[in-house]
Amino acid sequence: MRRLYTAFLATVMALSLVTLFSKNVEAQGIPQNIPRKELLILENPEGTIKNAGWFNIWAINAGSQSNGLQQAALDTLWYIDPEKGIDGAWDNSLAADKPIYNADFTEMRVKLRKGIFWSDGVEFTSADVKATVDIQIKNPNMRFSAVLRNNVASVDAPDAETVIFKLHKPNSRFHTNFTVRWGAIWILPKHVFDKVEDPTKFDFNKPVSLSAYTLHSFDPDGKWYIWQLREDWQRTSLGRYGKPGPKYLAYVDPGPPEKRVIAQLNHELDVIHDIAPEGMFTLAKQSKSTKAWFKGFPYGHPDPTLAGVIFNTQNEHLKNRDVRWALALMIDIRAVTMAAYRGAATISAIPVPPTGIHPDAYHKPLEAWVKDFEIDTGKSKHKPYDPNVSKQIADMLRPSMGDQIPKDDKEIKDSFGLGWWKTNLEAATELLERAGYRKQANQWMTPDGKPFTVRLMVEGDLRPVMTRAGTMIVQQWKQAGIDARVDVAQGTLLTRRSAGDFDAFIGWSVETWGGHQDLSYFMDSWHSAFLAEPGKPQPLRNWQRWSHPELDGIIEKIRKIGFDDPKGIELGHDYVKLVTREMPFIPLMAYNVFTAMDHTYWTGFPTSDNPYANPVTNWGNSRYMFVKLKPAN
Amino acid sequence: MPAYFNFAIKRLWQFVLVVFIGINIAYVITHVTPIDPVEQSISAVTSFGNTSPEAIADMRRSLQELYGLKGDWIEQYISFWRRILQADFGPSLSAFPAPVTSLIARALPWTFGLLAFTTLVSWSVGNLLGALAGYYRNNRSLKFFGVLAMALHPVPYYIVALSLMIVFGFIWPVLPITGGSAMDVQQGWNWQFVASVFHHSVLPALSLIMIGIGSWFLGMRSLVSNIITEDYVVYAEIGGVAQSRMMGSYIIRNALAPQVTGLAMSLGGIFNGAVITEKIFGYPGLGTLLVDGVYAGDYGLVLGVTSIAIIGVSLSVLVIDLIYPLIDPRVQVAS
Repeated sequence: MRRLYTAFLATVMALSLVTLFSKNVEAQGIPQNIPRKELLILENPEGTIKNAGWFNIWAINAGSQSNGLQQAALDTLWYIDPEKGIDGAWDNSLAADKPIYNADFTEMRVKLRKGIFWSDGVEFTSADVKATVDIQIKNPNMRFSAVLRNNVASVDAPDAETVIFKLHKPNSRFHTNFTVRWGAIWILPKHVFDKVEDPTKFDFNKPVSLSAYTLHSFDPDGKWYIWQLREDWQRTSLGRYGKPGPKYLAYVDPGPPEKRVIAQLNHELDVIHDIAPEGMFTLAKQSKSTKAWFKGFPYGHPDPTLAGVIFNTQNEHLKNRDVRWALALMIDIRAVTMAAYRGAATISAIPVPPTGIHPDAYHKPLEAWVKDFEIDTGKSKHKPYDPNVSKQIADMLRPSMGDQIPKDDKEIKDSFGLGWWKTNLEAATELLERAGYRKQANQWMTPDGKPFTVRLMVEGDLRPVMTRAGTMIVQQWKQAGIDARVDVAQGTLLTRRSAGDFDAFIGWSVETWGGHQDLSYFMDSWHSAFLAEPGKPQPLRNWQRWSHPELDGIIEKIRKIGFDDPKGIELGHDYVKLVTREMPFIPLMAYNVFTAMDHTYWTGFPTSDNPYANPVTNWGNSRYMFVKLKPAN
Repeated sequence: MPAYFNFAIKRLWQFVLVVFIGINIAYVITHVTPIDPVEQSISAVTSFGNTSPEAIADMRRSLQELYGLKGDWIEQYISFWRRILQADFGPSLSAFPAPVTSLIARALPWTFGLLAFTTLVSWSVGNLLGALAGYYRNNRSLKFFGVLAMALHPVPYYIVALSLMIVFGFIWPVLPITGGSAMDVQQGWNWQFVASVFHHSVLPALSLIMIGIGSWFLGMRSLVSNIITEDYVVYAEIGGVAQSRMMGSYIIRNALAPQVTGLAMSLGGIFNGAVITEKIFGYPGLGTLLVDGVYAGDYGLVLGVTSIAIIGVSLSVLVIDLIYPLIDPRVQVAS
């Protein structure tokens, strides 16, 4: 017995020692054969990639996109940065200049840069752009086939640097298909795809790259991808901005939020794509080297995406503008931001994200109008806008967050947004009564005498921040007498959103360029021509299934003007006024992304003080970060 | 022997029936999921920009055709069984056009390696210590281990796993907390990769063993505690049979029969994967594949993984049933 027991203990101890000291303490979650000082480690928010060896981004929904493929290896004609960009938000990437349209927007001519080469040494020419279009039109099951087939009648490459697109019908925004916001139609290598029999079944492994990095190695189980700086990086469009700092980029799946925090505290993850506010606060407290977009609270980068309460306006009760406004006036935005982002949110009362160029183009110029905006309930008139909400949020946070909360009024507005709608239960009551609703005890009843029920769909633990916002709103509606319920959709949200199977949901139908004032990116799809019948799938992004003749007029006018035409801003103002009056969805706040950047090995990350790029790792624009990064001492 | 042969044929037929019913239930459940893989794909594909609504309608038609979602349910069902019989689960809809079988083949060795090892270690150590604790009831070390096993056994698995991760990944960062192997190490039969796999499996394996060992220990201890009071053991003791022979031939052998059944069930359950372990430690495997498939509405993938699990569990039960009469003389096949 004693011998058996001793042998058992000895085995356990021996195994423990072998395990603990079989590797260096440092060699945990970092590459074994690459010097750390030459390596930038970024999170791939797509997580573990199931078919890791698939790099054909032109096939439908096949491999990963955010594994460095679209950030480090691919390129296209133009980029618009959601912030200010290195040399302005607009960047001519493979194109030498902006697109040139004919008078009726049925033809787009593009002049390309010279001296750009694929990583296998073949020169990039107009033939590659033409092949990108032709191959996808010829093969209808490719990723961009439908877009191209619907738009392009023909594409010509009269010389190596010129491409001419002839369109089926006028489209003043056709170039945006080749303009990176998050991604775009990437240019494929003709000399590679010409040899492929079926491009939908071609894995493009190893990928030939057009941007500054090329694939070094990857995990067949999809946990990591390593990209290496091309020796001829000058022969890429990024070469204009100088040599990228990191020689290697590793895009990794670091796991759930707590592991991302641990990995960054261990300096094994330089850039976290996004993390819960609590994780960001922990990093800010425990790590001297971690920095975020804002130097202090609210930390996160406001994406050009506007989170809000999206009503299904085909729902009998939510067709009525008065009802929608009443529900908006029952909300206390301060409590919602506290619940969602622990206060670290950038709010917006108007239907445009409060980020990039938009505060200057829309929020500030329209603030006077919003202040004067009046709701006439029939019994009384109310001016619902409160310009001091952001200051109130800052004041609420100061006791717990101390000096991290800005004191300067301008800084508060830049960080937390401008104002929002005051909670006004009296006005809400009058609006509901005008719509025929009656209150019995503390319960609102519909005109046909049933309890007024609103199911607010949230995504659940797949998107906890938005779920917390939704839960708080439901609580506020309940307190005001609405039979409100949280409807947790989990993975079914996309299907139900498309089918219109909801009363309201927390999400977004407004996404913009951020760095450019044009709003057609989302607005064009709101035209009544694209509105689905109840029960039929609704094409993105008009999830509220709302249409208005005035909106159609605005959209049609925008279609007839150029992308940079200043009239676009005027029409954008008309859109803001119309949607504010109609309230088809309740704008809440920017979708803040808590990108945490560790300065232990690299410095020069973009911040609100130096907003040359969006730091969010899965955006194609994040490539501009590589040329600005310098090794830390 | 003819009786055993008839028994084996009957059990084999039952096995086929169980697998057939199980896979059919899985088929029905996966096809009534409210998640539409076409909408999931459209959302992923159009996230890049401002795809026009006409193009999306066009894309929806293409995807339905591409994913084989056109045609009535009878055609789809027949086509499904035709493929199953050829060991083909079709393409994964969330990793199109990769075949489901290739995704499973990649994930299975990780799951099998980790869970087979931890199940066998938990079973062997738990049963060995449980038998000793049941026999040597006054031994203080074994008593202490019993207390430890009883204390650890009810702790939720994720608490143990997270605690290990924080202790060995953050407070004393000596062990990797994510992945199946280190970055930049090429997979293959080379020392660097094997060592890396071993290193990365320590925490997931330890967490599973810590929780798994307790149930085997407690079960075996109580079995042995009962057996040592049996007349034949008391008689053997009085008769002066050596302690080692008593333990091996009289006690452990008799106590092992239900534990072997439990082991077979556990080994069969390996093919379900270990979802929480894989999620917490970022370990590659079938569990993560299954969860991802469910969220993406990827019928083929979910059906592939569940079919493997159904076959695994049924097969292990079949094997146990077939070998039981051979290893335990008390079990007789009716003639």
